[in-house]
Amino acid sequence: METITRRKFIQLSSVTGAFLAIGCLPGAQGNEKLISGLVADPSKVDLNQFISIGKDNSIVLFNHRPEMGQGTYQSIPMILAEELEVDINTIEIRQSIASRDLYGSQMVVGSRSIQSEFDKLRKMGAAARELLKQAAANQWKINVSECKASNGKVFSESGKSLTYGELVVEAGKLTAPDNPPLKNREDFTIIGKSIPRSDIPLKTNGEAKFGIDISVPGMLYASIERSPQFLGEVKSFNEADILKLNGVRHVFKTSRAVYGNTREGVAILADNYWNALQARKALKIEWDTKGLEKVNNASILSDSYEAAKQEGDELFGKGDVKKAFDNSKNVIEASYETPYQAHVPMEPMNAIVSIKENEAEFWGSTQNPNGIRSFLAKTYQLPEESVKINYTFMGGGFGRRSMTDVVEEAADLSKKSGAPVKVIWTREDDQTQGPFRACSVNICRGVLDANGNVTALEHKVVAQEIQNQTGDNMTAGRQLMGGINTDYLIPNLSVKGVLRKRHIPISYWRAVYHSTNPFAHECFIDELARKANKDPIEFRLSMLDHPRYRRVLEDVAIRTNWKSPKKSGTGRGVAAVERSGAYFAMVVEVERKNGKVVPTKITTSIDLGICINPDTVKAQTEGSIVMGLGAVYTGLNVQNGAIVEQNFNTYPLLKINQCPEIETFILDSDAPPDGAGESGLPTVAPALANAIFDLTGKRIRKLPIDMGKVS
Amino acid sequence: MEKLSLHINGQKKEIEVDPQIPLLWAIRDFVGLTGTKFGCGIAQCGACTVHLDGVPVRSCVIPSSAAAGKSVTTIEGLSKNNDHPLQLAWIAQQVPQCGYCQSGQIMSAAALLKTNPNPTDDDIDKAMSSVLCRCGTYPRIKKAIQQASKT
Repeated sequence: METITRRKFIQLSSVTGAFLAIGCLPGAQGNEKLISGLVADPSKVDLNQFISIGKDNSIVLFNHRPEMGQGTYQSIPMILAEELEVDINTIEIRQSIASRDLYGSQMVVGSRSIQSEFDKLRKMGAAARELLKQAAANQWKINVSECKASNGKVFSESGKSLTYGELVVEAGKLTAPDNPPLKNREDFTIIGKSIPRSDIPLKTNGEAKFGIDISVPGMLYASIERSPQFLGEVKSFNEADILKLNGVRHVFKTSRAVYGNTREGVAILADNYWNALQARKALKIEWDTKGLEKVNNASILSDSYEAAKQEGDELFGKGDVKKAFDNSKNVIEASYETPYQAHVPMEPMNAIVSIKENEAEFWGSTQNPNGIRSFLAKTYQLPEESVKINYTFMGGGFGRRSMTDVVEEAADLSKKSGAPVKVIWTREDDQTQGPFRACSVNICRGVLDANGNVTALEHKVVAQEIQNQTGDNMTAGRQLMGGINTDYLIPNLSVKGVLRKRHIPISYWRAVYHSTNPFAHECFIDELARKANKDPIEFRLSMLDHPRYRRVLEDVAIRTNWKSPKKSGTGRGVAAVERSGAYFAMVVEVERKNGKVVPTKITTSIDLGICINPDTVKAQTEGSIVMGLGAVYTGLNVQNGAIVEQNFNTYPLLKINQCPEIETFILDSDAPPDGAGESGLPTVAPALANAIFDLTGKRIRKLPIDMGKVS
Repeated sequence: MEKLSLHINGQKKEIEVDPQIPLLWAIRDFVGLTGTKFGCGIAQCGACTVHLDGVPVRSCVIPSSAAAGKSVTTIEGLSKNNDHPLQLAWIAQQVPQCGYCQSGQIMSAAALLKTNPNPTDDDIDKAMSSVLCRCGTYPRIKKAIQQASKT
């Protein structure tokens, strides 16, 4: 790594291939120290560099977050370019290296990339612009206030101009300001515009490289048979038979940790993937399944309802719900069920790892490059500098690629075989091994007064918790209450959790508990509205003074002509949820077509603060709706302690012909940006179930919904 | 292992493979073209769609020996400069998110437009309903096919 020194500067200032690099030292959020300097090679600089400007006017903006389809590959550089005053379409976007020391967390989860990085990125762009302006001012011997930056040049009031490239050397002598002035929102020319994503052309001609597309010299391919009951232990396997098969080099027992549990498998390493797959078919493993075959849908459900009798741990409370229920003769109660779901990124899970004596290297698609680096360093007792992470585009993540378990398998097999190993999961592995979205039972109870106002509401979530899957601690944590709207002005309001532990592993799935709890909560609010004979939107508004909830609900009512009478044979339902700081109100319209009820249109109004790239937000909303709808129509079943559905033939994703018309409205806002990657998903299930009730008068409280049976 | 001669994207490629190896893995691991993707291995998702003598096939279930003597077109061979009307429409409509399934989407759509240059919405639904996208790019896929059919 090259460090910025005075001596280097003097050497470099005369060289044509010199670059002005701007970045910042990692520090507390909002407290980063900006640094800049002249460097010879912008890819080898010891700072968490985000901007590089060449003497030849080449401008490179670095994206430090992995791309899985969420579009920050474009929106992160857009924020830099806005303050830097360059044309976003002429600069080059490059993916940064993986280094927590340099970039802080690079993990892409929870729709956080824009939210957490917005201020820092603006500051860096602005610092670079101010450096270049100061350099021009020095050259022209005028005050910097007489200089203006625009489109990669600095202009003086008298009409002189210099390109950024011409200013690089002078700017390299200066110190980057810590608090550069930021642009006013009304002066934005990039943020808020739908700017085409530069990764998209690569994704139309096969050029984009995903983890599964990478090969490294000498690598072996691995396919791994794992216990269908997850925690089964390998007692024996027919190693000698397998070693005789075509292309097979090694057979190893392997294991990986999944949220505190060790999960075993038998890996076949072969000269190509097909040979590994063929040999796997001949593999005979004797498992100790520890009686886990006894677990099935019915046992899980009865356990949940039995557990629901417990008082539970209070996760949120105001007023006195118990007293309100004791004083009421008419407590309304409903229970809702959601199934396990698999993530199903279209690119099956995979990883290449090479473990050598003094170094390790990873190639692949990941939401968590820093986590992989730390994991490999810790496991193989290497300094982090000796672990190289090469991350690619991801063929979908949805939370699944935030884990390091597949890397652990590849690393173990590389260590055992001495060769780089590429592990590729089959689709069946992906769907049956998880980890999954948690299944849940939700019990909601409420009381209406004589005027139809909600005076008490209790929501009890019975589910597994991602961060507490093993051990004796049975106290439910706040994670379990994700997506339950406690902004409703209900005087007695309580959210309770009853923690379950099961052998079926769970993990973060797009929107996490926000993808299940609102199905119960927003359906129950709808049930109360109907019991009170009130319009579901009016009913919600009467309980909300939160300005952002109000504006999205009011807006979606206008967009869908909610107040006009609906056509016969149609129904509509509403739901509103906050996720990742973004407020979404959604109306689903359903229609009877050939005797079947189908959703025809989904309209969403969004308040997510300042929107960086509106088309990306719309794309994320469309994607969230499609994934959310898919999770309404299908779910995973458990039999013999294992997942039943093996592949797309039994666990179908939503198809193009099932996709309703989608319309998305982004409301203008000055507030700091919030997350868009998941927020469209939580409202889909409740708004659809509420629409089905509106049309048919039947309440659906269990997912998945078999739409063929809805009439 | 047998010698197999594949005619792929207008070029002849000699590879040595188990003749039963699916065309998908022959293309990816032996020819070295990685634009064609593995998604399910049972012809359910369409990520592996290529053209065999102009007809769309699921390369994950076709033995590579079945491609001998036939012309194989993969996403890399659809156009020289990423300028097939569908590719242009895909960019104009900003279709891909993660992008992984899009080779299969585009190859399936290209086969549709070859036999039906002006597909209706229903035609598009029928032709594309077995090509899966987890990111949910379907509304844009539909718009892009409509746009390309008009050029």
